[in-house]
Amino acid sequence: MIRRLSIIVAIVAFGLVFASLVIGHTEQQSLLPLAESYIRLVPQELGAANVITGILLTYRAFDTLGEVAVLFMVAAGVGLVLGGERPPRSGPLEDRFEGARPPSEIVQTGTQILVPLISIFAAYIIMNGHLTAGGGFQGGAVIASGVLLMLLTYPQYQPNPEFLGVTESVAGALFVLTGIAGLIAAGGFLDNRILPLGQFGAFFSAGTIPILSALLGIKVGCELSVILERFRP
Amino acid sequence: MMALIGSVLVLLGAIFHFSAGLGMLRMPDVYTRMQAGTKASTLGNTLVLAGLAIYHPGWSLKLLIIVYFVLMTNPVSSHALARAAHSIRIPMAGDTGIDALRDARQKAGSGT
Repeated sequence: MIRRLSIIVAIVAFGLVFASLVIGHTEQQSLLPLAESYIRLVPQELGAANVITGILLTYRAFDTLGEVAVLFMVAAGVGLVLGGERPPRSGPLEDRFEGARPPSEIVQTGTQILVPLISIFAAYIIMNGHLTAGGGFQGGAVIASGVLLMLLTYPQYQPNPEFLGVTESVAGALFVLTGIAGLIAAGGFLDNRILPLGQFGAFFSAGTIPILSALLGIKVGCELSVILERFRP
Repeated sequence: MMALIGSVLVLLGAIFHFSAGLGMLRMPDVYTRMQAGTKASTLGNTLVLAGLAIYHPGWSLKLLIIVYFVLMTNPVSSHALARAAHSIRIPMAGDTGIDALRDARQKAGSGT
């Protein structure tokens, strides 16, 4: 009884707190000057239909590079924490999963159908980052979800860590090289106008933004896959 | 007219979603709750998306892909969860009579 009463009191208290927020809220009628200039400048200067990706991959691309570096640190840290104490991987893989039951046929069939679908969806998100909602980070996370599904269904499946590491490093290096090319040929580091802007809203448009988006997607997908791979028994 | 049909389908889907939520609250054990959540929400999703496709015919193809995705993922994930729950022996409601998975495993002689 007391428990139920305290739950009701808590709900009412939360309701009061949020009610004052809702009543006090007024819709902002005009944009702030910064937002207005971004909304005006991104389609005009950069030719990107999606303003957010335009900001993330040009004006704040250096910040995005920092975020990717943070993700890389996380992958390295997970490798350091989880990689040290595991027994050496000398025995055949099947021995390590002796106690586990194999996943059922329904799960295996579902995975075979879903993984291609997930990969296509990830590619779609990455490559349409400059047109609709999406971009490299989101698409990379979707790639990693496909890898996670593979790891759950086939415990013996082993993504090649050297391949993942090399791909990730190459993508990161190309990202920085594109930025330096912008420094040389256009207005500054990671300026997207070294390639023709193209027609506004077309698939091949917005200069280097689609390329940077693809590199970012590959890099994030590889990093998250490495992290997931570390969590296998 | 198309807008009305679409809206009615979305409403029907919402009713099924509501019944899924009701089932989650009222069913006695894990397995029945899971089947309430899975079946009703899969159908509810399909109906809502079909209603949207009638409402906005331009979105039909993308909505069809989403329906396919939900039809593939929702039953498979619930199956995996229910099977995992069964194999760590989460108890069933008292008046459950038949356990086909246990019988099949005993027949196959795997023991668990």
